[in-house]
Amino acid sequence: MRTLALLPLLLLAMSAHAQNAAPNWLESTLYGSGKMNTVVIVVAVIILGIGAWMFAMDRRIKRMEERIKK
Amino acid sequence: MKHWWWKVLAVGLLLLASIAALRIPLAPALVHVTPDRIAPGTAVLEVTGYNTHFTEPGVMQAWLENDGGKWCARAMEVIDDTHLRITSLPVPAGLHEDLSDLVLFSGTDGLLRMPQALWTEGTATAPVTEMADCVPANTRSGIFFVFPNRSILYETIRNLHFHVPMWFAMIVLMGISVVFSVMTLSTNSLAHDRSAEMAAKVGLVFCALGLLTGAVWARGTWGAFWTNDVKLNGAAVTALIYLAYLVLRGSVQDGYKRARLAAVYNIFAFVLLVLFLFVIPRLNAVDSLHPGNGGNSAFSDLDMDDRLRAIFYPACAGWILLGVWMFNLRVRAARLADQLDR
Repeated sequence: MRTLALLPLLLLAMSAHAQNAAPNWLESTLYGSGKMNTVVIVVAVIILGIGAWMFAMDRRIKRMEERIKK
Repeated sequence: MKHWWWKVLAVGLLLLASIAALRIPLAPALVHVTPDRIAPGTAVLEVTGYNTHFTEPGVMQAWLENDGGKWCARAMEVIDDTHLRITSLPVPAGLHEDLSDLVLFSGTDGLLRMPQALWTEGTATAPVTEMADCVPANTRSGIFFVFPNRSILYETIRNLHFHVPMWFAMIVLMGISVVFSVMTLSTNSLAHDRSAEMAAKVGLVFCALGLLTGAVWARGTWGAFWTNDVKLNGAAVTALIYLAYLVLRGSVQDGYKRARLAAVYNIFAFVLLVLFLFVIPRLNAVDSLHPGNGGNSAFSDLDMDDRLRAIFYPACAGWILLGVWMFNLRVRAARLADQLDR
C-alpha cells in the first residue's frame, strides 16, 4: 500500500526527468535508427511472400512431372 | 535475347530500385529539442539531430523564428554529430505566437528547421525588435541526393518503394484479368478464361503483400496494425471481392458456363476495385489517415518529391513486370496441366 502511495511521486519525478533529456529508449531507437526496423520487416514480408509463391509454383510443376512419369 | 529481354529488365529495375530505396540516406533533420518551452530571458537548449554532421567544420548558426522575426543564438557547443547545446539563446518578451520555430544552419547539412518546436511564454501583440544578424544569406548545403526526412515517418518513407508498388502490380494484374474476361465474353474461349483466372490469382498475391506491408507500416507510424480507415477497409473489401471471384469459379462445374459467369462477375469486380481504392477514399466527406486520401496530402506534396519519384517509378515498373512474369508462368503451367488432362 505504501509503495502504491509512492507511485504518483515516482511518476512526477519521471515526467520531470523527461523534460530535461530525451528518454533513453528514444535515443537508442527513434533517434538512433529512425524506425528502420519497419522497413526491414516490410522487405522481409515481401521476400517471404514471393518465396511462398515460388514454393507453390514448384509444387504445381512437380505434380505435372509426376503425372508425366506415370 | 528476343523474348526474355523484359524479364532481364524486371530483375534490373528491381535490383536498382531496391538498392537505391534502402541505401539513399535520409535528409539531415532536427528531431528533438529539450526543454520544449522558452520564457523571456536567455534559454539553454539541447538539440538532437538525425543524420546531421554537427562536428564537421564550417559555419553553424541557430536562431529562433516567431511570426517572421528572427533572434540569433549567441553561443553553441557541439557534443557530437547529432547532439549540440545552444548555451545562450536570447528570448525577447512579447513574441507574437505561442509556438516558435527553431532553425539551425550548417554548411554541411544546410537549413534545418524544426517548426513549432518551442512553446513560448510571455507572448504579446506589441512589436519586438528582431536580432537576425547571424542569419546567412546563402543557405545552400553540400547535401545532394537524399530522401525527405519527415517526423513520424523517418526511415519508413523508404516503404513507399516497397508497399505502394505492390498495389500498382495488383491493379495492373487485375486490369489484365478484366481484359481477358472481356475477350472471353466476345470469343467464348476457355484459354482466355484461364488467363483471366491466373491474372486474378497473381493479383491476389500482390494484394496480400500490399495489405501485410501496409499493416507493418501502419504499426510503425500510426501505432496500430489496422485502423478503421476508408482506404484500408476499401482494400480489404477489394481482396474479399476477388476471393469471391475464385469461390464463384469453383462453384460452377461446366467450363463454358463458368467462363461466361466468371467473366461478367470479373467486370463488376474491377469496377468495384476502382471505386473502393480510388473513388470512395478520395471523397471530400471522408477522413483518412492514408496519404493521398480524404484531404490528406500524398507524398508528392513533399519537398524533394522528385527524388522519391526517381526511385519510385522504376520500382513500380520492376514490380509490375515481375507480376506479369509470374502471371505468364502460371498461365503456361495451367496450359501444360490442361494438355496432360486431355
